[in-house]
Order: sequence, then C-alpha cells, then structure tokens
Amino acid sequence: MKRWAIIAVIALVLLWGWLRAFAWFDPVRLCRIHIDVELLEGDRAPIREAIALVRREDPLAYHALCRWVDRIQEERQCDAGDPQADPRLRGQSAFASGALDAALSRAREAPGCYVRGSRIIVLRRAPEGGGGPALVRARADALKRLAGYSRAFWSEGTR
Amino acid sequence: MTRRRLVVIGIVGAVVAVIALRYFVWLDLGGRCIIGLRPSLVGYDNTTIKRALATLHRGSPEDYRKVCDHVAWINPNPSCGGFGGGCFWHSEGNRGRASVDISTEHGLIWTVAILVHETCHAIQYHQGRPPQFDLEHECYGEDDRILRALVQFE
Repeated sequence: MKRWAIIAVIALVLLWGWLRAFAWFDPVRLCRIHIDVELLEGDRAPIREAIALVRREDPLAYHALCRWVDRIQEERQCDAGDPQADPRLRGQSAFASGALDAALSRAREAPGCYVRGSRIIVLRRAPEGGGGPALVRARADALKRLAGYSRAFWSEGTR
Repeated sequence: MTRRRLVVIGIVGAVVAVIALRYFVWLDLGGRCIIGLRPSLVGYDNTTIKRALATLHRGSPEDYRKVCDHVAWINPNPSCGGFGGGCFWHSEGNRGRASVDISTEHGLIWTVAILVHETCHAIQYHQGRPPQFDLEHECYGEDDRILRALVQFE
C-alpha cells in the first residue's frame, strides 16, 4: 500500500513537472498553453509574466486566452507578407528602411500576431537588451488583443 | 504463440502506429487528404508542418485543397532553399502528386507560406508550364497572398 502511495506521488510530481515545464499551467482555471521558444536562447519566463499580468488585470481576456489559444510561439518577427513578391527586393535578405510596404513594416514591428485558422499566437522575439517590464507590458497588451482575434475567428465565424 | 507474446506484440504495434500517425502522416479522412511526412533530423519539424497544414485547413480551405491535390510527401528539410526556404524538384517522380521540401526553421508563419509556395510550383509542373515561364514570380505572389490573408497583427 505504502509503495503504491509513493509511486502515485512520484507520478503526480512528474505529471505536474511535465505540464508546467514547457507551458503556462493554471490548474485552478484548467488552463494550459504551450509555450515554444528558441531552443538555446529562448526564455519562457517573460512570456509567463505577461500571461500572469493578463490574469491579474483582465479576467475576461485571460478567459479568452485560455479558451481560444493553445500555443504561444516566440518567433523572429511577424511577417504579414513576403518581401520577395516585390521583384525590386527579390534576393535581398536585409531591406533598407522604407523599402517594405507599410503593412509589412508594421507587422515586423508589432509585438505579436495571430495566425488565422490556428489557435496560435506568435510573439516577436525580444530585441537584444529589450526585456524588462516594458516588454512584459507590451506582450500582455498584445496577448489580450490577439486572443480576441482567435475568439472572433473560432466563435463568430470571422473567416 | 503464447497469449503474453501476443499482448506484447499488440502493445509494440500500437506504440509504432501512434508514433507513425503523430510524426509521419497527415491524415484527414473527412477531407480525403493523406500526406506523408518524411523523417526529420529534428523531430519537432514534423509537428510544425502538421500545425501549418492544420492552419491552412481552417484558415484557407482552398489552399489546403491545392496542397492535398498536388502534394503527396513533405520532406522537412532544414537546409533547402538556403536555410529557411523550400524546394520543388522538376523530376519524373513529381509528375503525379509531388514531394516537396519544406524548411520549418523560421516557425509556423513561414512554414505555411513555404508550403503554399512549393505547392504552387507543383501545380505549375503538373500543368506543364514551359521552362522559360517565370515560375518564381507567381509563387512568391502566392505565399505573399496567404501571409496577408492569415497573419493578423492589428
């Protein structure tokens, strides 16, 4: 009996660790959102802080986040178009300021984006030395807005 | 064969089937779409491709249909297209539903775009476009279109 109790406790600890390790996990609200970051240089902590901030200050947005988003990915930037589609820019890997069309530039500067058809939010990787409370605030605001887009896509048929 | 051995074989078979379905096959019976995913050096590449297919499925059913109709195999090849792009090979083997190489290095958004881009090349090839046709311009336009349609940032 005692042996089984120990095995059950170890299994629970492992399960808890597995649920938390690569995700935001809030068992009270039955909320788990997987967090993907760069293998070597990524850091989940600022993303967790941003989600915690959303939970503290906007329960409705937090509910939408838990309900309509199942993964947050940190990526280099949000690309809302392919610069290579413009023959003038084809073959270039870096672009002079003003070369990209306005929507593409704004997307690349945005803190995050939602990919329609998914339950995935992409957050822009923090620029070198650009962490801290300002980043957490910007990401929390982005998460609230982007969770709303996911909700609109899935529940209101905004497709 | 003993009952115990049968149970062991059954369990091993089930585990192999689950792994194969999770990592090596895109199976959408309702949409009559089956696509094989070749093994990748880094296993999570295949799940990124599956997420890209799922995103297209819901986000742009027309593009998803094109992928299903023209692509049979996806090879998650990180080095193709200069680390971060994709490849389509004009070979006899690609006359039917084709095999395309897709890099997942830059995440979900670009994986969706590259998938649409390489499917565009497969369509061109299946339509028998002449070699001097500007094959790239049309396909860059296609991936640009899907990015503008799916990525919502403001």
